[in-house]
Amino acid sequence: MKRVIALAGRPNTGKTTLFNALTGMRQKVANFAGCTVEKAVGAVEVSGEDVEIVDLPGTHSLLPETEDEKVAFRFLSECAEEGADLQVLCVGEASNLLNCLALTAALKAAGYPVALVINMIDEARLNGVVVHAGALSEALGVPVVEVSARHREGLEGVLELMRPHPLRPDLSGALDFRTATHSRLRDLQEEAIESAEKAAAAGVTLPARARLPTIARSIRIDRVLLHPVAGPIILAVTMFLLFQALFSWAKPVMDLLSAGLAALSEGLRARLPEGMISSLLCDGAIPGISAVVVFVPQIAILFTLIGALEHSGYLPRAGAMVDRALRPFGLDGKVFIPFLSSFACAIPGVMAARTIASEKRRLVAILLTPLMTCSARLPVYALIITAFVPASYAPWGLNGRGVVMAFMYVFGVAVALLLAMALKWTSLYEAHPSPVTVLPPYRVPRAKELARYVWARCWHFVGRAGQVIFLVSIALWAMAMFPRNAALVGPLETQVAAVQAAPASAGRDARVQELKRRVAAARIEGSLLGMTGRAVEPVFRPLGWDWRVSVAVMSSLAAREVFVGTLGTIYAMGREAGSSEGLIRALREAKKPDGSPRYTIATAAGLLIFFALALQCVSTVAIVRRETGGWKWPAIQFSAYFVLAYALSLVAVHLFA
Amino acid sequence: MTLDEVELDAPFRITGFVSMDASERGRLSGLGIRPGAVITKLIPTPLQDPVECLVGPQLLALERRLLARIEVEAA
Repeated sequence: MKRVIALAGRPNTGKTTLFNALTGMRQKVANFAGCTVEKAVGAVEVSGEDVEIVDLPGTHSLLPETEDEKVAFRFLSECAEEGADLQVLCVGEASNLLNCLALTAALKAAGYPVALVINMIDEARLNGVVVHAGALSEALGVPVVEVSARHREGLEGVLELMRPHPLRPDLSGALDFRTATHSRLRDLQEEAIESAEKAAAAGVTLPARARLPTIARSIRIDRVLLHPVAGPIILAVTMFLLFQALFSWAKPVMDLLSAGLAALSEGLRARLPEGMISSLLCDGAIPGISAVVVFVPQIAILFTLIGALEHSGYLPRAGAMVDRALRPFGLDGKVFIPFLSSFACAIPGVMAARTIASEKRRLVAILLTPLMTCSARLPVYALIITAFVPASYAPWGLNGRGVVMAFMYVFGVAVALLLAMALKWTSLYEAHPSPVTVLPPYRVPRAKELARYVWARCWHFVGRAGQVIFLVSIALWAMAMFPRNAALVGPLETQVAAVQAAPASAGRDARVQELKRRVAAARIEGSLLGMTGRAVEPVFRPLGWDWRVSVAVMSSLAAREVFVGTLGTIYAMGREAGSSEGLIRALREAKKPDGSPRYTIATAAGLLIFFALALQCVSTVAIVRRETGGWKWPAIQFSAYFVLAYALSLVAVHLFA
Repeated sequence: MTLDEVELDAPFRITGFVSMDASERGRLSGLGIRPGAVITKLIPTPLQDPVECLVGPQLLALERRLLARIEVEAA
């Protein structure tokens, strides 16, 4: 049986740093059984045998409040039940040992095989804290090692603790935390605190000065960063930079990746004979890959910045600063960064919710972040607003189109906050998780730790959500390609061949391009996507949509901005730059058979509302599935937002009709 | 007196809690907020809630509603 090492302890004690130092690249992230709490599992070879290491969520006491904390104890109980070859390494912060020893004492008293790893011993030396490992070991009755995981100091001592033992520990008498009564846990904790106080008195010598140097330095920094005037300004500048980074820094790399893959697609198209293989590669597979990798720069930049803020200790302070303002909506300060990131893209926004420890609150953040106006909505909004909001519209002397665009941003935030308030009456609501937030001392983030943090998140996105995004892109391509309606496409293709075969003349190439665009439009019209568009047309008719808009909306599931391209193809406007003016004109001038306008300002209002609310992005659905560990929540989220989007669009259509 | 009534930057010793059940006391105890611990109110955040406090060797942000439930005496 494989030996299992569980790293337990309070948050911010360097458990994950120790986990990374021990496992290197041999680690993976899964979920704990039956919940969405992330479970980091790694392996290390000790004495020729593989030992499994599990990085448990941080916990402050034996009386867990959030799902994350409960998971840690549930995992230990399950190990005991299965008779695993378990060893619990309680990781404590050397400069704050008194508060870390209680868990060690409690787990020991509960019958678990425990050892104490005193981490950040380098920082304790700087603070003048002296740890007497021998005395602590004697007082607690457990092995004790001192390490600095950041500097890989003392790791051999930890490996020695992890060495597989010929005799497995007997866990039959270990306390089952899943069934233990509250009073039993309270008693256990009180006894553990008493033991911890005695052990700390025997094994830790604190310096004579009132405040440890790292704490005194943090307080000095906080007097600036939490200042009533400077604090919000610094926070606003930090968030502005983060937002800018997502929009500006990521954009050139995203454009480069998009352009590179588009060039690859065009290069292949030029070399391959026209046909199914060419279309599959150039219109299906490569755009599918593009739909995945194009998000990686944003995710990498976002998590570099979030990681730096988190590792430095600023993130919990930033959360504390905005916490009060968000409380009336049932939210807390930790949703701030997911919400902000979602203005660039919901993918990094949903992933940023990982910084929220409480499972329910994380889920609420994941459910609400896609309502922020992401950059993919902008081309859609720009097309609809330019086509249907008159240039002469100038409320309060302002540019009317700009006002409508700004309204769309405010609308997304307002709906998210209102829904957050509504969720207070559901089982998803969790009272403010704790009236206490731990503010770790400020530390300089280390490049290696940061790189690992960013790499893990990028890799998980590409490896997990990427598969779904790619497959759906291929499925949408197939729906737009098949079946080939010969009656619609055939005559046009014959015309293309005829024009191409004719002697070269002025305007021949333009005529060929025009005909090819009409072929593309005819292909979509006769395809499964086109047929589905016609089939669902009655559903969307109350919103003023015809089959063309329905098809464009369905194809925009691949990415919202695809709406513009698909509509361009349907109206045979092509996808080349500068085609949007032609499309805008086509939309304005489109007529029904009775001569009345096909689209009106009411249709436009409905479409804007629909795109603001509907979860019209398969990449977001895929990342929500990844982050929540199943299809349940993305299915609920997609359906609920669709119903809400439809209902409010209908209201908008009637208001503007 | 309770922690919300005391001045900033002065150390106080926790003596007890007002209207708090055993579970909540247990959770606070795990965070180091327990009778006998020395606590210093340091910096209110810009919206005045929560307030950064020094509890033993650690910094914690405590919501005001909690400050009013922590009884203290001069350390």
